[in-house]
Amino acid sequence: MSVDARAAPVLTMSPERVTMRERIVAGVPWAGWIVLAILLAIPALGGGRYLVYLGTLIALQAALATSLNIVMGYAGQFAMSHSAFYGIGAYASAILVTSVGLPFWGAVPIAMACAGVLAAVIGYPALRYTGGVHLALITFAFGELARLVAANWDMLTGGPMGMRVMYTPGSLFGLELGSAKGLYALAAGMLLVCLLVTEVIQRSRFGRGLVAVREDETLAAFLGVNVVGYKVAAYVISSMLAAMVGCAYAPIMNFISPDLLSAHETISLIGVLILGGIGTIAGPIIGTLLFFGIPEMLRVARLYRLVVLGVVIVLVALFMPKGIAGVLRDRVERWKRGLR
Amino acid sequence: MDLIQTLLDGLMVGGLYATVAIGVTLVFGIMGILNFAHGQMVMLGAYTAFFVVSAGLGFWPALLIGMVAMGALGLVLERVVFRHTLGDHMQGLTASLGVIMVVENLAAAAFTHDPRTFEPPLPGSFQIVGLTLSSQRMLVLVLVVVLVVACHLFLQKTRIGKAIRAMGQNRTGAALVGIQTTQVTAVVFVLGSAMAGAAGVLYGSLFAITPYMAAAPLMKGFILTVLGGLGSVPGAVLAGFLLGVAESLGSRYLSASFRDGYGFMLLIIALLYFRRGLFGHRGKVRV
Repeated sequence: MSVDARAAPVLTMSPERVTMRERIVAGVPWAGWIVLAILLAIPALGGGRYLVYLGTLIALQAALATSLNIVMGYAGQFAMSHSAFYGIGAYASAILVTSVGLPFWGAVPIAMACAGVLAAVIGYPALRYTGGVHLALITFAFGELARLVAANWDMLTGGPMGMRVMYTPGSLFGLELGSAKGLYALAAGMLLVCLLVTEVIQRSRFGRGLVAVREDETLAAFLGVNVVGYKVAAYVISSMLAAMVGCAYAPIMNFISPDLLSAHETISLIGVLILGGIGTIAGPIIGTLLFFGIPEMLRVARLYRLVVLGVVIVLVALFMPKGIAGVLRDRVERWKRGLR
Repeated sequence: MDLIQTLLDGLMVGGLYATVAIGVTLVFGIMGILNFAHGQMVMLGAYTAFFVVSAGLGFWPALLIGMVAMGALGLVLERVVFRHTLGDHMQGLTASLGVIMVVENLAAAAFTHDPRTFEPPLPGSFQIVGLTLSSQRMLVLVLVVVLVVACHLFLQKTRIGKAIRAMGQNRTGAALVGIQTTQVTAVVFVLGSAMAGAAGVLYGSLFAITPYMAAAPLMKGFILTVLGGLGSVPGAVLAGFLLGVAESLGSRYLSASFRDGYGFMLLIIALLYFRRGLFGHRGKVRV
């Protein structure tokens, strides 16, 4: 990101020490992946029903936050329709499985394709101009329209009362996914897929183009980046991943309702992203852990837990606007350069 | 007759939207603070009115107390939180998400989830040229018009109103010619919050009050602010009335359960084809 202006003292450091520090810093992402692996293993190996259930919810939310991070964190586009695509994925897969009779793993790609087409149709006109507040409002309006359609199309969606889902995902590669731990594996798998896509994007030319678009659209266009194409592609990928996570939501919760599509879900996801650190791989996961972890740790009445969480969010927003992962990254970067 | 009645109904609802939208226009459109907690002010204003009316003080003191109390709360929020997030929309948005969680859950704990209503000052209805009109709704419409005109005159005629508009055009330029920008920001926040409080009192006199009532008026306020052209008070007001009429016509003649959808369709069309809003001059504003 931005070049640290105080990098000058690097020149005075002895060369060996710098390489040593650089080597340690290069290991930080690997340490992060190991921590994630341990965290994911805890509910899978030991742990009672409650821990497995909580782990499933957190993995699902973290997957959703990670997928939103692609369009918001890397491309810098304020898309408010994320929960709508999450809900569209859940509804589309549930309808395909129960009414059409497709197997779960056959319904997932179709639901994702539907979401991708919808995202392209809504995203292209909205992103053709500089996105900004207009994109936020168009995607917000689209999301609310989708919610209203879900609430009013009684025949297909069961109307405002929601619909009950009574199927389990079939086994994949010999892995049985019907049990509680199987559903946990499904949610964790979704998280890993989203992380993998983000990692690939971050390392690719496409990802660097997105960051260029986020930092300065005009300059990016000058450098030969297809600004509109990149923005639409980020929006479509992000929305398709949201739909994929939504497919997992239906059998895990056994129940979907139009509330799933409401913009409040997107807004709290944005809160998660900013809390954790927007535009970083670890940020969405840290944010989700805090968002769900703080309320779980505090064994007081539910309402007061959320009050404490609200205070934490305000404090983070005021004192670490880059989010927790962003602050950590800056600290590590400065340490590498021999600054305290 | 039916059509006129529907139109009047739409104007009344639109007036409520416009009152919220003025507050959002001032705080977001002019100051650039993305404060989603604005809806919570509407909710708290409605509760203030409920408790004042229940204490036997009547509607008019409730309107005044609601506006003053929300203005004071706005001042506190501006001093403690939002003055530190100026110029960074994302930061303001996150901070306001935190404020929403605090306010909404404290309100739910203190006031319980039960929907509340209070006795409006003018119950019943009256007949005029074959139309049956609810007295309270007409009173709300009149009050909204008074508030809107007062706000407009304040911005156009007074010294501080001119300072606010100058800051909306160019913050640095305004500071250069000697405007105390921090103080004016506080005034704008107080004014916007007081308008939200007034909208809350008027909402409460017509609809049920719950701790979660804030979302719909807030979202419509933001939509109208953009539809009207960012930072334009007359634009936001006109857009508010238009949205109210569109919703009311749509739910009367098409489908009532899709009521909120008409506004969103209007919004999408407007954003794609009339990108500067009704009275806006600057087409390109970024979040």
